[in-house]
Amino acid sequence: MIKPINDFAGRLNTEISLDENMVVKKQDRHFLLNTTLKRLITKDFYYAGTYLGKTKNGRFFPSFSLLTLMARTNANKTVVDKKTEWLFICGRDIFREGIVRMIGAKKRGDYTLILNEYDECLGFGRLTHNLDEDKAGVLVRNISDVGDFLRRER
Amino acid sequence: MSWFSLKRLGNGSQEGCLPDDRYPVQAPSFYELAPNLSLMWGKEFFLGRYSELGWKYETVESKQAIRVNSMNIDKDKLVKRLGSRGVRVRKIPFLDDGYWVSESRFSLGATSEYLLGLYSIQEAAAQIPAALFTALKGKTVLDACAAPGGKTVQLAQLMQNTGAIIALDIDKHRLVALSNQLERCHVENTAVYLADARHASQLNLKLDCILLDVPCSGNFTTDKEWFGRRTLKDVERNAALQKEILREAVKTLKADGEIVYSTCSLEPEEDEMNIDWATNELNVQVEQIDCYGQKGLTDVFGKKLDSAVVNCKRIWPGPTQGFFVCKLKKRGSA
Repeated sequence: MIKPINDFAGRLNTEISLDENMVVKKQDRHFLLNTTLKRLITKDFYYAGTYLGKTKNGRFFPSFSLLTLMARTNANKTVVDKKTEWLFICGRDIFREGIVRMIGAKKRGDYTLILNEYDECLGFGRLTHNLDEDKAGVLVRNISDVGDFLRRER
Repeated sequence: MSWFSLKRLGNGSQEGCLPDDRYPVQAPSFYELAPNLSLMWGKEFFLGRYSELGWKYETVESKQAIRVNSMNIDKDKLVKRLGSRGVRVRKIPFLDDGYWVSESRFSLGATSEYLLGLYSIQEAAAQIPAALFTALKGKTVLDACAAPGGKTVQLAQLMQNTGAIIALDIDKHRLVALSNQLERCHVENTAVYLADARHASQLNLKLDCILLDVPCSGNFTTDKEWFGRRTLKDVERNAALQKEILREAVKTLKADGEIVYSTCSLEPEEDEMNIDWATNELNVQVEQIDCYGQKGLTDVFGKKLDSAVVNCKRIWPGPTQGFFVCKLKKRGSA
């Protein structure tokens, strides 16, 4: 049940330790329960514990809770400045100039978590070209950002 | 015949009344007996009632308030961060984590701090109920009418994400908003169900604490059209629904367990009179609470209520919206 989560963690160059017994799947969504919830909940719940993400057409879409958990590991990370933080949560891609530091991600296609200056996870993206290439323009393509909380309720 | 004597005409069963569209039930015969209730509406009518209850109408400008999700950030740090964005806040003296918003150049629902779950936008009075439970850590708590989830998040914060919250709502669309709130604020101890609070006992659980922030008629401070929209008939319908929810909640509560009951209605039928009914009909007592607000009314339009109803808190519109809150305890022998 946690294979898609582990696979996703691998794309961020990290591992995540989840107790498989505490992970439940409801339709296409995965949730991590605490011990009390595990004991109490019935199958007809709508949402429970920590939402980890959903699998759709074979692809895994991580939740922001999962990304936050991964940000505590040695996953690939890109820390951005305040202005870029704002642009990123508005759905924009990241230019090299807005990056404060990068950990892990180096090659085109690598996934990276995006953090603000307080090391809080804003979402994740993918490198558009190798880090050592001297190219102007977008360096990290936005895949998902916390601005989605606003967009999904529209 | 005054409006309140008219109201007494139908003292029979009020079970199964229609409170609002989300609780579809059959219309009761009570209103067939007293159809004039539907004519009792309008600003003058309701202000007359408030005046009779001891409150003089004043224009109220609602202030925006936030609650720091102190589970996720230190309060002072957040205030400083918001300050650096040009958002000025000041502490609400009667709340632990509440702040009035004095100045903001943009929507507080779109900052990265909000999206990261560091604070919630929550009206000041609405921050009172969850904080009234005696102790919450490790408990099993029911939030019976939970969406959109501001109080659920607050409960989780007070529980430090331990134990479990069972959150119910009857409206599937509102469950989406509730779930988004839980995810945004990093709540880990809550299970959400699409369920009617009137059937909470079907969960087959015995709860330590129950939050009943029941569906109500609301008040004019949050709805400019309120006086034109509401009639006394609506109030009676909501009061009947609230009784049903109260009765069901007491069934699912452990002995010595606590219920916090709240409404944002100013109408005593939904507030003190319902609590008076609960103390007489259900196995509960009204506990003393220490929070912002005035004493509950014990003399409502000439009717004397149980003296313990004074322990409730009534908040007339002012710095906050209108509100009513009380704490009930299930007697130990239950």
